[in-house]
Amino acid sequence: MNSFSMYAARKSGLHNLHPLTKSTLALCLAIAGLVLPGNWTGYFLVLCIVFPLAFWGKIFTRFSRSLWNVSLPLAISLFLIQSIFWGESEILFTIGPIAFKEEGARFALINMGRILLVMSDFILFAMSTRPDTLMISLKQAGAPSGIAYIIVTTLQIIPRFQRKASTILDSQRSRGLETEGNILVRIRAFIPIILPLVIGSLIEVEERSIAIEARGFNSNKKETSLIEIPDTNTQSLLRRIFIIISMLGIIARIAWQLLI
Amino acid sequence: MAIVDLTNVTYKYPLTDSPALQNINLQVNEGEFVAVIGPNGAGKSTLCYAIAGFVPHFFKGEITGTVEAAGIESSKSSLHEWVLNVGLAFQNPFNQISGAKYTVFEELAFGLENIGVPRDEMIARVEDAMKLTGISDLADRSPYSLSGGQQQRVALTSILVMQPKVLVLDEPTSQMDPIGTREVFGVIRTMAEKGMTVILAEHKVEWIAEFADRVIALHDGKILLEGKPQEALTSDLLLGKGFGVSRYTSVARKAKELGLWKKEKLPITLDEAVEGFARALTPGPFAKHPDGAPTGRGE
Repeated sequence: MNSFSMYAARKSGLHNLHPLTKSTLALCLAIAGLVLPGNWTGYFLVLCIVFPLAFWGKIFTRFSRSLWNVSLPLAISLFLIQSIFWGESEILFTIGPIAFKEEGARFALINMGRILLVMSDFILFAMSTRPDTLMISLKQAGAPSGIAYIIVTTLQIIPRFQRKASTILDSQRSRGLETEGNILVRIRAFIPIILPLVIGSLIEVEERSIAIEARGFNSNKKETSLIEIPDTNTQSLLRRIFIIISMLGIIARIAWQLLI
Repeated sequence: MAIVDLTNVTYKYPLTDSPALQNINLQVNEGEFVAVIGPNGAGKSTLCYAIAGFVPHFFKGEITGTVEAAGIESSKSSLHEWVLNVGLAFQNPFNQISGAKYTVFEELAFGLENIGVPRDEMIARVEDAMKLTGISDLADRSPYSLSGGQQQRVALTSILVMQPKVLVLDEPTSQMDPIGTREVFGVIRTMAEKGMTVILAEHKVEWIAEFADRVIALHDGKILLEGKPQEALTSDLLLGKGFGVSRYTSVARKAKELGLWKKEKLPITLDEAVEGFARALTPGPFAKHPDGAPTGRGE
């Protein structure tokens, strides 16, 4: 699938879930991680809910690798920055003149848990949901079709944009443009590359608008869909439960904040 | 009866001084296959856009005169209604891909989804259209992984599948090889015979000579001449203005100057050229009966 999309095609129960069920679950989990107290809540939810779901979706390896790649650098930098610059006392350990403080480390721990939860949540959703099915289900749920179209085309257009940029880069190089060297050379090379890219894209936008208009994009008829997205009453109920839990979570959190 | 009717159409793009179309009067009958020729900048694309409703609905600018299709006047219709009657496919196939679909099949269904065709009918129509244009084997491919020629077929099919009454095509074969071009012209011809009206802007005069019913020559935004391919494509009016001329016509014109082409009419196809030269070069019965048509191909 030629697209900037994390989607990993598998035949699994998770993949077969309605996109809105998955997105409300993702939302519910993220909110739970943010509003529930405790140092380890985020990690606990990742371990006990997100990982088993990834296993169910047959994307465990790919999911874990992605999550690891994204979160490790973040975790390291978060820990370093927070424990070095945050907190007054309670020094954990020192390396030379640098003191690592407990308060900062605790802050990093809690927030890393939250970030990890939101990220894993998002990766799980993105890997198990085809963007176009998300678009269709959003439209069926009443979202304007223009917005749904923009979301999905953006995912497809990014890799094409990259390819176009490298074509322009190559053709400018073949005309003798220097693109390698010190920072000044690179900055000078930037304009002859970015201008054709931007102008070309503007022209492309015009032509594409004509093309989709010619295919009835702005038609006021009720749209139909080639791809059918199976839905069940259970899922519809689940979605409602997820939304209610999310809302309760937010309300509880606000109330707690106000009371304390 | 004319299904497309342009009366005194003059059009200026926004921010330009000179009109892109001037006093265009054009009637096209139902089921007719009309080819529009002209050098770059002659107004071919603008004429296509005007018939397809994008001039002035999409491009804005000033338009005078009336454009009618299927009995509706363009200025009194909205673009999304207009496109149901008049379909448009243009040159660059890359930008005609919706970008929202993952397979060719889904891409072709995109237009039908938008206009609310029920799912069963949608599938049947897409399958039929793919068969017609010979792209059934591409159904599960990503539209972006196709070659330029294949993408052009997909772009053409994506409009055909919507079954417009009038089909406007702006250089739909520019990225195709000769075999692909022949096939696509064949498809267009078939559509015209089934009653679809086709207006085609194209440089490839040899294909027009073979397939089109009528030729419109555009120059500087005006209709320079129109007529049957045989008359229009061989007219001396086209010379020196940047029009494409069939190589058969060019050879015969040269031969005529040298006294080697005896017929009055110049050829536009290979068969006509061969026949004409056979008559000029063969001694015997041909020389005695200069007006006879020995191969049986009448004029």
